[in-house]
Amino acid sequence: MAEHENGSVLQFAQFQSAVDEGFWHRLSSLKLNKLGIDESPISIIGFYAPCANSQVSNYLTLLAESLPAEPSEQSSVPSASHGNRNRCFVPGILYNTNTLESFHTLDKQKLLKAEAKKIWEDIHSGKAEEDSSVLSRFLLISFADLKKWVFHYWFAFPALMLDPPATLIDLRPASQWLSLEEAESLSVACNEWRNSHSTSDVPFFLVDIASNSHATIRHLKEWEACQRNGHKFLFGFYDPCHLPNNPGWPLRNFLAFICSRWDFEKVRFLCYRENRGFADLGLSLVGEALISVPQGWKDHQHMPNAVGWELNRGKKISRRISLAKSMDPARLAITAA
Amino acid sequence: MVLSQKLHEAFKGTVERITSPRTVSAFKEKGVLSISEFIIAGDNLVSKCPTWSWESGEPNKRKSYLPTEKQFLITRNVPCLRRAASVEEEYEAAGGEVLLDNEDNDGWLATHGKPKESKGDEEENLPSMETLEINKSNTIQSISSYFGGEEEEDIPDMAEYEEPDNLIETDPATLQSTYLVAHEPDDDNILRTRTYDVSITYDKYYQTPRVWLTGYDESRMLLQPELVLEDVSQDHARKTVTIEDHPHLPGKHASVHPCRHGAVMKKIIDVLMSRGVEPEVDKYLFLFLKFVASVIPTIEYDYTMDFDLGSSST
Repeated sequence: MAEHENGSVLQFAQFQSAVDEGFWHRLSSLKLNKLGIDESPISIIGFYAPCANSQVSNYLTLLAESLPAEPSEQSSVPSASHGNRNRCFVPGILYNTNTLESFHTLDKQKLLKAEAKKIWEDIHSGKAEEDSSVLSRFLLISFADLKKWVFHYWFAFPALMLDPPATLIDLRPASQWLSLEEAESLSVACNEWRNSHSTSDVPFFLVDIASNSHATIRHLKEWEACQRNGHKFLFGFYDPCHLPNNPGWPLRNFLAFICSRWDFEKVRFLCYRENRGFADLGLSLVGEALISVPQGWKDHQHMPNAVGWELNRGKKISRRISLAKSMDPARLAITAA
Repeated sequence: MVLSQKLHEAFKGTVERITSPRTVSAFKEKGVLSISEFIIAGDNLVSKCPTWSWESGEPNKRKSYLPTEKQFLITRNVPCLRRAASVEEEYEAAGGEVLLDNEDNDGWLATHGKPKESKGDEEENLPSMETLEINKSNTIQSISSYFGGEEEEDIPDMAEYEEPDNLIETDPATLQSTYLVAHEPDDDNILRTRTYDVSITYDKYYQTPRVWLTGYDESRMLLQPELVLEDVSQDHARKTVTIEDHPHLPGKHASVHPCRHGAVMKKIIDVLMSRGVEPEVDKYLFLFLKFVASVIPTIEYDYTMDFDLGSSST
């Protein structure tokens, strides 16, 4: 990566969404069998994993298991269990409206702000230190047209805005930033973290590299243990983005967390990425950003602005999917005949 | 679905219900797997290639003969940079076929453009030429995906609902170029590519694994299964690759039909044994996925491991 001597605005690649067909099937049956015309928001879960390939980013994915199980199928197995390395939890909320009109007239700014506020409060209450998955949240608004089997939807990934934005002073592949020994030790540590059942889906962490090149990964709450001088120290996160010159979206709220919780003006971060399921420090990035902590940021009453509605092919419009082919009983009867 | 296919499905379902699952190994003799061998091979795949995981799928489609949490294997978001049809054209232009196994015209072992190796050389070194070209054609094809693609009566005018500029605030920290359809600058590394979820189920009737493909277009909208056939080797599209109900997930998905899997696996095992390599049942899925790569040569799923098919040194 080129030099950033003058410093440029740190730009983040937006989280992108992907919805499995199973999600819409379960939403339809929930709507028909349980929710009826109830428009109350529903807590749902999205899944993501670090980027696994140099050519495509990973997505926030919704599956059937993202929705609460139907009463009829209270299975023995919890529908979404922790510990699957390819499924890090992201808490989300779904507003499913009863009409297309109410879908379009939802107050999107207000909804986004409400979710961003949860992130802000979890940062200030210390909850984010205990369970870092609450630093990434998402919001989904939808209208399920069950007469035509068409679904209108729009995702938002709320991000707290730093004002002024962070300045990037350095960003390069982790393998270039670290010595050979450090890179080897960090790879081993990351692979252990990812393979351990208790940490594989913990998306934010601390990296501590001792003067003897030994790398250790710690939970955010183990912050105290890391403050020794002479060490290389990084804030690490699972980066869904594959781009060589930009970190992914989860870093935004992580930076907000870092500068609200601890007094940092210069933050070194690790965008952790994988190739074929293993740590890839050529693809992973180490960056250095300057943050000038905004006025009033320490006051938790003073919530910063938030952004994050997903664009659809570069436009500010909702998405739409038709599943008539696989859901419409009339069509299914014809193809089955 | 055609009638013969339906009849066969009904027959197959009945046989599956009344036959007891295979318990004796016939891996070397017939190239097939028992249920417990499928689990062993699947566990090994998940541990060596962690992009794969076991899933339990739809609760009402669970098979009682498989553990609840190990109903099938899946790897999501696998890139597919080019259409198989275009690779084959190039391949033929470059000088034709290399069949490892030429006698009976199976073509199963034909290694048309091995996905892994070709990727490194071609994609990375020539991004501006080739990939841009592909991008354009992809964008055109993606119009016929689910996104407003069907013959829907009343596609609402989306522009009507486009939000005013103040919804997505001008935010200097959001990377802006995340979706540019037509005029991507050459140095923009954002490749627009199809992705696939590849899943492996156990087919009790044929006693082999079976591969399923769920495709997504460049903006992660579900691809119609018919468009998935563009990413299947043209020798196999609509013949060995068919569109059917997934045994554990909702909807129609493209699948490599397993009727010849046992025979092909038997042949691969024989070749290995003739070279003095003793095949182990936990490696079955690596061999299997390697041969499936000849059917879907441009879908870059992970099946690598440290062993050499041609070596007798193991």
